[in-house]
Amino acid sequence: MNITQTYQTDNDVESTPAAPSAKQLLRHILPLFRQYRLRLFAGFAALIVVDFLQLSIPRILKRGVDSLAAESATREILLRYGLYIILIAMGVVVLRFIWRYMIIGFSRYLERAIRNRIFAHIVKMDTAFFEKRTTGDIMAHASNDLNAVQMACGMGMVAAVDALVMTVAAIAFMSFIHVKLTLLALLPMPFLAIFTRILSGRMHRRFTTVQEQFSLLTEFSRSTLVSVKLIKAYTMEKFQTREFDKLGRKYVKSNLGVARIQGLMFPIATLVGNMGMLLILFFGGRLVIIGEISMGDFVAFITYLYMLIWPMMAIGWVTNLVQRGITSLTRIDSLLKERSLLPYAGEEVEKQEQITFELKNLNFTYPSSASPVLKDFSLTIGPGIHGMTGRTGSGKSTICKILARLYPVKDDSLFFNGLDVNTLAVESICANIGYVAQEPTLFSNSIAANIKLGKPEAVDEKMEEAARLAAIHEDIMAFPDGYETIIGERGVKLSGGQRQRLALARALLIDRPVLIIDDGLSAVDVETEHQIFAGLKEHLQGKTVLIVSNRLKLLTMTDHIIVLENGEISHDGRHEQLLEQSRFYRSMFAKQMRESEQLDYK
Amino acid sequence: MKDFGYQEDSTTAPLGDFNLWGRILVYCRYHWQLMTAAIILSLLITGATLGLPYLIQTGIDGYITNSELEIAERLSGLSMISIIFFGLVIIVLVATFFQVVTLEYVGQSIMHRIRQNLFGHMLKLDPHFFDTNPTGRLVTRLTNDIQNMHEMFTSVLVTIFNDLLRIVGILIVLFLLNARLALVMSIFVPIAVIITQLFARLARAQFRRIRSQLAKLNSFLSESISGIATLQVFGRQKETRKLHEKLSFGYLQRNLDQIKLFGTFMPLTEFMSSTAIALILWYGGSEILRNQLTLGELVAFLSYMRLFFQPLRELAQKYSIVQSAMASAERIFQLFDLKSDRILADKPHSAEDIHGNLQFHGVHFSYDGKHQVCKDISFTIRRGETVALVGATGSGKTTLVNLLLRFYDPQQGRITIDDIDISQFSLTNLRQLVGVVLQDIFILQDTLLANIVMDTGTSRQRVEEILAQTGIDRFVDRLPSGLDTLIGEGGQQLSTGEKQLLAFARVLCRNPIILVLDEATAAIDTESENILEEAIAESFANRTSLVIAHRLSTIRRADTILVMEEGRITERGNHDELMELNGHYAELVAMDVYNEAT
Repeated sequence: MNITQTYQTDNDVESTPAAPSAKQLLRHILPLFRQYRLRLFAGFAALIVVDFLQLSIPRILKRGVDSLAAESATREILLRYGLYIILIAMGVVVLRFIWRYMIIGFSRYLERAIRNRIFAHIVKMDTAFFEKRTTGDIMAHASNDLNAVQMACGMGMVAAVDALVMTVAAIAFMSFIHVKLTLLALLPMPFLAIFTRILSGRMHRRFTTVQEQFSLLTEFSRSTLVSVKLIKAYTMEKFQTREFDKLGRKYVKSNLGVARIQGLMFPIATLVGNMGMLLILFFGGRLVIIGEISMGDFVAFITYLYMLIWPMMAIGWVTNLVQRGITSLTRIDSLLKERSLLPYAGEEVEKQEQITFELKNLNFTYPSSASPVLKDFSLTIGPGIHGMTGRTGSGKSTICKILARLYPVKDDSLFFNGLDVNTLAVESICANIGYVAQEPTLFSNSIAANIKLGKPEAVDEKMEEAARLAAIHEDIMAFPDGYETIIGERGVKLSGGQRQRLALARALLIDRPVLIIDDGLSAVDVETEHQIFAGLKEHLQGKTVLIVSNRLKLLTMTDHIIVLENGEISHDGRHEQLLEQSRFYRSMFAKQMRESEQLDYK
Repeated sequence: MKDFGYQEDSTTAPLGDFNLWGRILVYCRYHWQLMTAAIILSLLITGATLGLPYLIQTGIDGYITNSELEIAERLSGLSMISIIFFGLVIIVLVATFFQVVTLEYVGQSIMHRIRQNLFGHMLKLDPHFFDTNPTGRLVTRLTNDIQNMHEMFTSVLVTIFNDLLRIVGILIVLFLLNARLALVMSIFVPIAVIITQLFARLARAQFRRIRSQLAKLNSFLSESISGIATLQVFGRQKETRKLHEKLSFGYLQRNLDQIKLFGTFMPLTEFMSSTAIALILWYGGSEILRNQLTLGELVAFLSYMRLFFQPLRELAQKYSIVQSAMASAERIFQLFDLKSDRILADKPHSAEDIHGNLQFHGVHFSYDGKHQVCKDISFTIRRGETVALVGATGSGKTTLVNLLLRFYDPQQGRITIDDIDISQFSLTNLRQLVGVVLQDIFILQDTLLANIVMDTGTSRQRVEEILAQTGIDRFVDRLPSGLDTLIGEGGQQLSTGEKQLLAFARVLCRNPIILVLDEATAAIDTESENILEEAIAESFANRTSLVIAHRLSTIRRADTILVMEEGRITERGNHDELMELNGHYAELVAMDVYNEAT
C-alpha cells in the first residue's frame, strides 16, 4: 500500500484555505518519506499483518466455542487451538516491535531532520528577524510545533492505518457472520469517534491552559523567591501570598476543566462499548435462540466488538493529531519561508588590511517601530580611533549594528571600501569586524572557550595576551579553575564589568581590522577603562575603531568624536573643537566634571 | 517553556513511612465527606462493571442456550437482562464521571492548600535560608513536587479504589465461578506485576535521559538565539550548526532507545491477555468436557480476563508514581519543619509614637562565623539628620542595612530606635518603620499606580500629592499613560534611574520614619537624576535617613559621612571636615577629580 498517499489524503481534508497549499507543506516532509520509504514499507507491512493476526484470534476462539457447544471438542483440539492463539500472539509481539521501531523511529528521524533545518535556517537570519520573533517564539517552533508534527507522522499515522485496517477487517469478519447484527452492533460506534474527536480537541485546549497556568505559577514563585529580601523589606509577604492564591485558584479551576473532560472521555468509550454489547446480547441472543447464529458466532461477535473500541477512539484522536500537526507544520513553514535580508550569496571579499566604511544618505527604521532612527545619515569611518556619543535613543547603537552587518540596509547606502555591501557576502564582511556590545552574550562554557569563540585554534599565550589587554586576566586567574572555569547558569556568575571585559578580550583575540565597541565597558569603572584603552592604543594602530560611550573622558583619547542627536550628526571633531562648538557636549562635559558622576570605587 | 526540566536525583521514598502518611492524611480531613462519596462511587462502579459479564453469562446460560424454557420465555428473559444491563451501563458512566471530578477537586484543593501553606511558610524563613538554597530548588518544591503529590492524590486514589477493588472483585467472581480455573488464571497476577514494575523502572530512567538531553538541546537553542548577533559577527554559524546537530543526534538516539524499550514491553500485556484466552479455551474447555463448567461461564471468564489486565497494569505503574510522590512529600514536609531560628519578641513593642532616633551600639557581624563583615559599628542618627555611608564594595555598607531590617541579627552589639532594641518590634512593624529604597526593585506586571500603591491602600489622590510634593510627578508625566502605564514584562521598560524613582515613590507611600537609600551605582540618565536629587532633598527633610551613597551630590548633602573600610568606620565627619582630614575620603574624592581633570 502506498503510504505517502495515506498521508496526503489526510492532509487534503484538513487544509484550510488561508493556510499554505498542501504542496508547500508537503515539501518539508515528502522527501523524508521518500528517503525512508523502505523503513516505512516494512513498518506498515508489519502493522497490517499484526491487525490480521489479531483479528484471527476471535476466529479460533469461535471455532473452539462452537466445538464445545456442538460437543465435538476433545482436549487435543482445544490444546491445539490454545497453542495457535499463543503462536499468533508471539508473532504479534515481534511484529509490533518492528512497526514501532520502524514507524515511530521514522517520525524521530523526521523530527531531527526538520529540527536541524530550522536551526540552520535561523543562524542565518538578520537581527531584524529576531526582533519580530522572540526567543520563546522560535523555541516553541522548535519544540512544541516540531513535537506535534512528529506525533502526527508517527503515532498519528500508525493509529490512522491501524484504525482503518482494523475497522474494515473487523466489520468484514462480523458481516461474514451476520450482516444485520453487525450493523446493529456498530450503531453506537460512530458516536464514539465523534465524541472522541470533540472531547480530545477540547481536552488539548484545556490542557494547554493548564500548562500555561502552571508556568505562571512557576514564574510567580520564582520571581518572588528571587527577590525575597525585597518582599520582606516592603512587608509584602501577605500581599504576595494573596496573589499566589489567586494564581493557584485559577490553576485548580483549569485542572478541573480537564478533569471534567477526562471524566467523560473514558466512560463514554466504555459506554459505547457496553451499548454495543447490549445490542449483541439482546439481538444476538435472540438470533442464537431462534438458531440463526451459533453460540461461537455470538462469542466471536463480542470479541470483535471489543476490538473495534480502540480504533473508533483512535479515529477521533487521529483527526485531532493530524490537524494539530498541520497547524504546526504551517507555522514551521512560515518560519522556514522567512528569508534573511542579508546577502549570503554575494561576492566574497578578501581579508583587507585597511577598511573604510561609508554610510550614504541612510534612512533606517526598526521593524518594530514607526519612526526612523536614522534620517538621511551620512558618515565615513576610516582607519583611526573614532568616538561617538549622544543621548539615549540618538542612534549610536543602531549605527554600530548596521556597521557590524546585523541589520539589512537598502542598496547604495553602506559601502565597504567603496563597494556596496549588498553586493558582498555578509559572512566575508563579518570576517573583518570585531564587535563588543554593551550587554555581551557569553555562552555557558569555559572562559577559554568564550574568549576563543571566534578563533578556537588560538594558542593559550595569545588568549592570555588578549585577556591581559582587556584587564580580565587577573580576575580569571582568581577563579578556582582559571581559564577552564565554566561560566553561566551552571558555573561561576560574572559581574557586568567582568562580562564586558571578557567580551572585549574575545574581540581582541580575533584581531580584525575593524573594532566596534558599543558602550562595551560601561560597567567597568572609569579608572580601569582608562587603563585598558591606554594599553590598547598600540594594538589599535592602523585599525578602524569606533568607540561609543557617554563617558567623555574616554572619548578625549580618540582622534575624532561624533556627537549624535536624534539620528543626526550634530557635531564632529576633536574634543577641544567640540567643547567650543557643541552646547550638548560642553554641558555634558561640565556636568561630568562637576559631579564626578562615577564615584565608583570598585 | 521557561522550565527546561529542573530535576531532582533522588526520586523515591519508603512507602512504609507512617509519619509521612499521617501528615498527608491531615490534609484530607477537610474533605472527608467528598472522599467518602468517592469511595461509595468506587464501590458502585466496581459492582456495576463486574455485574456486566455476569449478566451476559446469565443471559447465555439462563436464556440463550437454555433449551428447557419456552422460546417466548427465553426471549422475554433476555429482554429483562438487557434492561438491567442498560441500567448498569448508565450507572458506570455517571458514577465514573462524578468520581473523576470529585477526586480531582479534592486532590487539587489539598494541593492548593499545601502550596499556599508552603509559600507562606517560605516567605517567613530567614534570608539566611535563601542564601543557602538555590531558588530553582525551592521553586521545584512549590511546583513540581506538589504536582507529583497531586498525581498521587488523584490517580492513585482512583487506582486504589477502582483498580484494586476490581482486581479483587474479579478474582472473587472467578473463584466463585470455578475455583480451579481461577487458580490457573491467578498466575498472571505476579507475572504482570513484575513485568510492569520492571518496565516502569526502565522507562523512567530512559525518560529522564531523554529529558536531560532535551533540556540540553533547548538551552543550546535558546542560548544560540539570544547570542545570535555574536555568533554571526564572529562567524560561528557553521560550527554552531554542527554542535546543534550533535545534540540533536543524541536526542534522536535516546528516543530510539526508548522506542526499543516500549516496543519490547508494550506488546507483552497484549501477549499475556492472548495467552489467558488460550488458557481459558484449553483448560476451561477441558473443564466443560468434564462438565465442571458451563459454556456461559467460559464466556464470562473470557470477559472477566479482559477486564483483568488493564487495572493490573495500572496498579503496577501507579506503584512508582506513589514512590516518587512520597519522595516529593518528604521533601515538602522537610521544608515545613524548618523554622526560623530568630528570637522574636513575645510582646512586640508598639510602632506608634516612634520619633526615629536610630543608634548602632558596637555592632559586630559575620555571615559565616569566620569573616567579620562589621566590626564595632557605632553611630547615631537623629530625626532630620542624614548619614551617608561611603566605602568600597565589600566594606560592609549593605550589611548595615541588612542588620537594620533584621534580615540578620548582629552577633554582638545592639541596634535601637528611640532606645528600644529593634528585636522588640515585630518584623512587620520594624519594616514599616524603616523604608528602604534598594538598587533592585520588584516590579509587578501592573500599572505604575498599582506598583506604587501595592498593598498599602493609598488613594490615587494621595499618591498624586506625594508625587507632586517630591517632584517625581515629572517622571510619571514622561510615561505614555502616566500612572496608568503598564510596566514590567510586556509593558513599558524602565531605566535604572526610573526604577529607583519608582522605588522611592513606593517607599514614600508607606511614610516611613526612617528612610534607607541604596543609591544606584550604574549611570542613570540626567533627567532621572535631577528628579531623584530633588526627591531626596524633599523627603529627607523630616526623617532619619541613612544613604549608601555613590554620588557626590548626595554625600555632600549628608550631615555626617561614615567612611567604611573592611567592616570598620575609619573616618567620620561632614564633607569639609573629611576633606581637611585628608584621609581615605579625600583620597577617593581626589582620585575622581584627578581623573576628571585629564
